[in-house]
Amino acid sequence: MDIELVKFMFILTVMSLYLNFAITLYGVVAKVNLVKKLIALTILQDTVNVFTVLIGYRLWRPGLILQPPALTDMNPTPEIIKDFVERSVDPLPQAFVLTAIVIGLAVTLFLTTIVLHVNYHFKTVNVDEIGGMKRRYIHEEAV
Amino acid sequence: MLRDIIFVTLLIIIALALSYLTYLGGLGDLPPQDIRLIARSYLNLTYNQGVNWLWAASPEAVTAIVWDYRGLDTLFETVVFYGAILAALTVFRGVSKLPDRIVSVGLSVVVKRTMAIVTLAILTVAASTALHGHLTPGGGFQGGAIASVAPLLLIVVFGKQLFVEKKVSYNKLLTLRNASLGLLSLSTVALLIYGLATNEIGYIFQNQAKALSTLSYPSHMLDVPLGGTLFFLNVFEFLAVTSGFTLVFTLLLSSEEVILKEFEGEEYGY
Amino acid sequence: MMDYVDLVFLMMGITAVISVSFTFLAVKTKDLMHAVIFSSVQSIAYALVYFLLMAPDIVLVYVAVSVGIYPLILILVVKRVGRFEVTA
Repeated sequence: MDIELVKFMFILTVMSLYLNFAITLYGVVAKVNLVKKLIALTILQDTVNVFTVLIGYRLWRPGLILQPPALTDMNPTPEIIKDFVERSVDPLPQAFVLTAIVIGLAVTLFLTTIVLHVNYHFKTVNVDEIGGMKRRYIHEEAV
Repeated sequence: MLRDIIFVTLLIIIALALSYLTYLGGLGDLPPQDIRLIARSYLNLTYNQGVNWLWAASPEAVTAIVWDYRGLDTLFETVVFYGAILAALTVFRGVSKLPDRIVSVGLSVVVKRTMAIVTLAILTVAASTALHGHLTPGGGFQGGAIASVAPLLLIVVFGKQLFVEKKVSYNKLLTLRNASLGLLSLSTVALLIYGLATNEIGYIFQNQAKALSTLSYPSHMLDVPLGGTLFFLNVFEFLAVTSGFTLVFTLLLSSEEVILKEFEGEEYGY
Repeated sequence: MMDYVDLVFLMMGITAVISVSFTFLAVKTKDLMHAVIFSSVQSIAYALVYFLLMAPDIVLVYVAVSVGIYPLILILVVKRVGRFEVTA
């Protein structure tokens, strides 16, 4: 195991997640199309989730093979459990991310219905045009 | 263009600031040297028969955390899920009552036959994932997410009238969803109610017997670990997620004119 | 010499870099249908990262959600709202 390469690749992963975060934040904030905002928002959610799981990782040591947090032995002895604790990654972030993904899907479905409503009422999903239309309506009502 | 330049500059500053914080050691060592103490105790206790007043009777640590150690978290996240689906249904409240007159023939017969086989495979994998959630990676959320791909593909391939012909109506799905959520919340308080009835000590979200309470869900069934309440909660969550997503998909994939009729609204406001 | 652990981390780093390029393409393109496809390719990269981070639970739910359901729903929305993003 080449520790320099491992560290470099891990930090490269973290930096890529930061870059993804910045790009999708740009998409959510600066793009005018609502569907584009929605796509960027889903990627943003996923980036944060990957980052949460990444925090629960642990270093490979020589002679130590990591495993997912699931016991494979149905009648474990104390030695097997001790070995399992030494080898397994952190299960807590995984448990949080698991529910976050499904709930994120439900929230995204709600947002899609909202986008469809907006598209029906304004005949466009461009937020600049929608803002202009609303300004015009208010101006007409005031005059 | 000026707007874009300002945003790009701001985001480059954000990325650089995050990188600098990481460089200073904001995340500790990368990769982390070891897991946290709380994770160690979860991993140690989840299937440790020697400490059977604290165990969860499940070899799968993630499911044990989701439905036992942090069960209340997941229950409230299920409430958020319920609310989000409910909000989507409220926006489409009229669509369910209008009959869909458009009959689509769907895709070609080759696609239809293939889809019938694939649907069976998807549902089998989903049920297996949900039912073995306490033994292997998987659980109610995973099974539900896998299973809800099937109705979406079915509507696209066979057309919306398939669900009408098979008598899978809106109300039936809604009843299934509410019933499974009701059973889910009932199984979290079942031991408390039983304890009150028989004058013993029981707790909310109790899975296995604790130091002060001898009440317990079964930990094994036919020599296979059952995980007590984890199994039941996984099954009910599977049903709730599948039926909730199927409801939203059937409404979202209604024909154009039905949705437009709903969006036009009533005479007074939307 | 390369061994098992090096390979795992090499795959993780390369996959993360690939995901950055697809995120960039998904945000940049004017064609919304292409954006949906790019975002689902990016999701596959993330699924591989999850797998290498020893999280099989999340791979199961993530593949179904973001390669199965998200693209179908987003294609539906794109069909309703028009395919091309028009900038003023």
